Amino acid sequence: MKKVYRSRGRPSVEALRGLDLEVRRGERVALLGRNGAGKTTFLKIASTLLLPSDGKLEIFGIDAVRRPEEVRPLIAVVPQEGHPFYHLTPWEQVYTYLRSRGFTRETAQERAETSLKDMGIFDIRDQLNVTLSGGQQQRTMVATVLATEAPLLFLDEPTLGMDPFARRGVWSALRKLTERGSTILLTTHYLDEAESLSHRVYIVEHGHVVAEGTAEDLKRRVGGTVRVTLPEVGVRTEDYESYGRVMKGDGVLHVITEPSRVSEILNAALARGVAATVGPVTLEEAFLQLVGKAIEEDAR
Amino acid sequence: MLAKASGAWKGLWAFAATEARVQLHEYLSIASTVFVQVIFIFFVWLLAPLSLLPFALVGSMVFSAFVIGERVLDEAAYIRIDHKLNELYHASPLSPESYYLGMGIGVLVAYLPTLTFLGLLTETVHPLAPLTAGLLILVLGTVWLIASSLGYILSTFFRDMRAIWPYATLLFNFFGVLPPVFYPLGLFPAGLSSLALALPPSAGAALVMCAMGLEPLSSGQILYAALALTIEAIALCSLAIYWSRRSSREGD
Repeated sequence: MKKVYRSRGRPSVEALRGLDLEVRRGERVALLGRNGAGKTTFLKIASTLLLPSDGKLEIFGIDAVRRPEEVRPLIAVVPQEGHPFYHLTPWEQVYTYLRSRGFTRETAQERAETSLKDMGIFDIRDQLNVTLSGGQQQRTMVATVLATEAPLLFLDEPTLGMDPFARRGVWSALRKLTERGSTILLTTHYLDEAESLSHRVYIVEHGHVVAEGTAEDLKRRVGGTVRVTLPEVGVRTEDYESYGRVMKGDGVLHVITEPSRVSEILNAALARGVAATVGPVTLEEAFLQLVGKAIEEDAR
Repeated sequence: MLAKASGAWKGLWAFAATEARVQLHEYLSIASTVFVQVIFIFFVWLLAPLSLLPFALVGSMVFSAFVIGERVLDEAAYIRIDHKLNELYHASPLSPESYYLGMGIGVLVAYLPTLTFLGLLTETVHPLAPLTAGLLILVLGTVWLIASSLGYILSTFFRDMRAIWPYATLLFNFFGVLPPVFYPLGLFPAGLSSLALALPPSAGAALVMCAMGLEPLSSGQILYAALALTIEAIALCSLAIYWSRRSSREGD
């Protein structure tokens, strides 16, 4: 998939440079990447809202580039930083959206109720959206889309601005939907969310995929499964390079290694009078490393 | 072919009902549209000869139908730029043309109290024959269709709400107030009367005023104004349908 934004008087922007991905039926797949990496552009193309410059897109065997009108009944989208109608209530928002998609009154009522309960906003269903907090409005948007139970859902940063309880509510609802057969492609900057929720992850940088796999696969690529963290002050990087990959963090050094070498590192640190903490490698570390490497390669 | 045509309007009434609900929740805004017209009529009653009152009433109704276009422009742009709801609706079975026309119908609902009030006032001041009342409704419907289509098409060109407000107000007030909408065609420069009869609000107002016996038009002028309105309605509605489909996917 390629997408070049062209505008008069300004240089063209190559948003997608041959992005290639596949999502299987019933999967939850996360698209990760820095701001401007091309995630939203891809999601817009996939959801028939943007025409690609080049490439092929098939959704359930239908050519989505040439026949968007056949794909649209099968999909639903949570737009990035979208808002519900301010002058509707959450209940009206979900119910009327379902009605406009062709659901009967009874089904729309039933699904609106279930979806609002799943998102934890049933109690505020009759308040105007304009009076709700940002997180509650975002939950209304997610409830609107999840209530469709569409076969394929695109969610662009669906939990943006939500509290941890609300985010878990969304995760649980998404899991339920995929158990019933829906497929989900989402973008997020919360890597714990991607890790907890997704069957597979694609990391995108500068318009193409730089890594793909399960969160565990990607973490393994960092060079170990355990992270030992030491304060950067008074610690020499070269003292720890023999134990594994050393990464500089925010005033700290992370040594990525295997569990069998942790005691050696801790002993070396203690011998130098340095405190160290041990934890599992996170998807964030894998992301930073994989994207960092891609940035370096692009710069070359 | 019939099935295909009906499929093209899938979800129209449901989306129109959605938009109407949005508008009806903004009841103060509805009240203000009535209030503005009442103030205007009050000043005409106070300052102008009583014989001009029916002109002002017809003008108010036609202007109200025309200014719906400004509201459609604002609403369509607002829910696209600020809310991104166009993405929610375009990536769904709701057809783009239903989205455009549904929005127009929804906004029309917000103007029904104003139009009804002005209609009743006109009926009191200058009773309408059934045929004239029918023509009035037809003209208002045509002006609404033209204005809504124009408003929707224009809304797709803006990227910033602040840029919209001055242009929209200027456009709809310029064409809705300056030509002979609120006053007789005879007071407009004679050399420009053909232009006035080609513009939707003044063409509509002239036809209604003529049917009410307020100001006669020649049969040529009647035909010209009616044709202009019909052609503009068909052309703009067709263009809006085409444009709504095209703009439902960026880059098409």
